[in-house]
Amino acid sequence: MAGPRWWVAALLLVGALLAQTTLLHLATVRGVAPSLVLVIVVWYAIAVDTRRAAIFGMFAGLTEDVFAATTGGAWTVSTTLVAIIAGMLSRGFFADSIPLVAAITAFATLVRALVFWVVMAAQGYPSGLALLHFHQALLQMVLNAMAMAVFVLIVRRFENRT
Amino acid sequence: MEPHIFTYRDERKLLALIAVIIAAAGLALVQITAARSGGASPVGTVATSFTSLAQSAISAVVGGVRSIGGGLLAIPGLSHDNTALRARNERLQRENATLHELIAAYAADTAVRPIVNLYPRGVVARVIGFPPENESRTVTIDHGLASGIATNDGVLGPGGVVGRVVAVGPLSSTVALITDYTSQVPAITQRGRWWGIARGNLTSVRVEYIPQDAPLKIGDAIVTGEGRVFPSGEPIGTIAAIERNDATLYQTAVVIPAVDLGALDRVVVLKK
Repeated sequence: MAGPRWWVAALLLVGALLAQTTLLHLATVRGVAPSLVLVIVVWYAIAVDTRRAAIFGMFAGLTEDVFAATTGGAWTVSTTLVAIIAGMLSRGFFADSIPLVAAITAFATLVRALVFWVVMAAQGYPSGLALLHFHQALLQMVLNAMAMAVFVLIVRRFENRT
Repeated sequence: MEPHIFTYRDERKLLALIAVIIAAAGLALVQITAARSGGASPVGTVATSFTSLAQSAISAVVGGVRSIGGGLLAIPGLSHDNTALRARNERLQRENATLHELIAAYAADTAVRPIVNLYPRGVVARVIGFPPENESRTVTIDHGLASGIATNDGVLGPGGVVGRVVAVGPLSSTVALITDYTSQVPAITQRGRWWGIARGNLTSVRVEYIPQDAPLKIGDAIVTGEGRVFPSGEPIGTIAAIERNDATLYQTAVVIPAVDLGALDRVVVLKK
């Protein structure tokens, strides 16, 4: 399975991170913004093998932890795990199907939020925050699925041109 | 030469001539009567009315033709004027935007100026980044090790406490806001001087471990107690709700931060 080139995914990841740290806080829905990083990670993970997906997810999570500064390794663990799951899920399906990719993104959003708060609790945060922030995760699930659908459409257009 | 025979046709001409003479006489009579009485002549009134209508119509047509002609002649000049005005408008809009930005920057600078006056070693910094996900409450500022900033330096904004520095890079630093879960600041109520610990709750600040017998009120101001990060007396916020439980030794105050943490622009880092 060839999949997208790693440097293209890396460039997209850098763009997503910059957008999230500078612009997206201005465009929130009820205080929740879509996670473009997760969208890129899932998009890459479902197109490559599990090993490459895990490495990419780990780097994406690590950079988020570096930017957030107070999350320890929670994003690294949760994003790596989600990349592995997305990579494994996509093996039996068509990776370019928009409904399927959007559904995987929605599922990945919930799993990532759950794992993130479990790791945060292990790092000393109060337990039960996953439940407290569940409504935010649900809203982000919808936003991420929509962002993924738009992203796949854009990628298709580029692929058709080339 | 044949003698002229007076025909029916000649008779009609003669009758017409007589009618004209009678009409002219009648008109002359009307005019003379009007002139004698000093009033306006009905004939003159009718005549001038029709004339004025005709004059108006002719003037309108001539004016229209002149303005169209003038417009056609002025087209090259108008085009030039339009280009110049567009350029001027664009320049003015740019200047306007620049001035607005300067006003905003001046207002932001003015807002933190009292803090710098109070703490001359303070470093004025701009907020340049936000956390990638919304689960933590941190911001990135544009000063770091190069400006002498260190971990656990306190950060103040216009109105009070913003947070503390948790990570420092060469040119930038990350500040955990007081609403972040990792934030803990010694706090004291301005009225009564009861101590507690202000902890972040993502959306607000909870001041915990306030003695149960302290008669707190909604609206009471909470300020920093003397600690390692902040000097005492810096505003944290005001009490919005009080949580009391008879079974516990302490009560908790929910505090709305004094600084609008969602609209941070310039802050002051208090170097140790």
